[in-house]
Amino acid sequence: MALIDLIEERVIKIPLKGQTKTEVIRELVDVLASAGKIVDPPGALAAVMERESKGSTGLEEGIAVPHAKTEAVKTLTIAIGISPQGIDFDALDRKPSQLFFLMLAPPDQSGPHIEALAEIARMTRSKAFCRTLINSQTPREVVELFQDD
Amino acid sequence: MMTPIRKILVYIDGTEQSIAAAQYSIVLAKSLKAELFALYVVNTRALNELVKSRIFIESEQEEYSRDLQEDAVRYLNHVKELAHKKGVPVVTENISGAVHLEIKNKVNELSIDLLVLGEISQIRSRRDELYNETERAMRSVPCSVLIAKDEEKIWSLYEALE
Repeated sequence: MALIDLIEERVIKIPLKGQTKTEVIRELVDVLASAGKIVDPPGALAAVMERESKGSTGLEEGIAVPHAKTEAVKTLTIAIGISPQGIDFDALDRKPSQLFFLMLAPPDQSGPHIEALAEIARMTRSKAFCRTLINSQTPREVVELFQDD
Repeated sequence: MMTPIRKILVYIDGTEQSIAAAQYSIVLAKSLKAELFALYVVNTRALNELVKSRIFIESEQEEYSRDLQEDAVRYLNHVKELAHKKGVPVVTENISGAVHLEIKNKVNELSIDLLVLGEISQIRSRRDELYNETERAMRSVPCSVLIAKDEEKIWSLYEALE
């Protein structure tokens, strides 16, 4: 399954209001819950926070990829959030994180989960693409950027 | 006249589409009296990319690698059962690496005449064209390729097979 197949306007939030790692992750989990993508929002939040406790998924250049394997979802699911001002996500380069990809996968879908995460990894190598994404003003713009890329 | 298709390889990735491809391959193998091979590739290249990019920590790499190995065994056993039900011998293999490269290597190694793949996701971006592993396998193998479509029709064909 291609990443673009998972990205739709209702799973994108701009701007994120959270000011901390926990608040942002909760906000993205809520986005997925509102879109009907999660059967157990508290379980999803706990799974992501447990993963973060083992090591931050804040990468470099303002990007973070919180993720977890959890029974709280029935299929591979992604939410995208943008925080224009950035928040402290314990990133590798210590810079504030602005672009968030929250990915949740059921335990029996490790293959698609890995492929989707690898696609994000490749995409984040393009600084220009990520800059353009971070500057998006609406969910529609984000979807179009992925379709055009 | 020489039989055009003596060896068929079906690629299994755990998706419903790849299982339909397996059923279609079984139908073809029985009809053509061809040898059937099924391949699952544990995508270690993607796992390595995730560690390199720091999205995965080492313990995750190990955990997911185990998951993928278990998936491989489960799905290949399922293909064996499907083939066994129809009296079709199948040789299954589970290898690790970059998916499209391993498929290409296996096609060459076994002198495969026909590669059968599950329906490919709609290409919706240039990135898909560059990185979709099934798409890349389809383009790079030296043999003919069949993309199995219409799961319901395939299921009927498989069920009707005696």
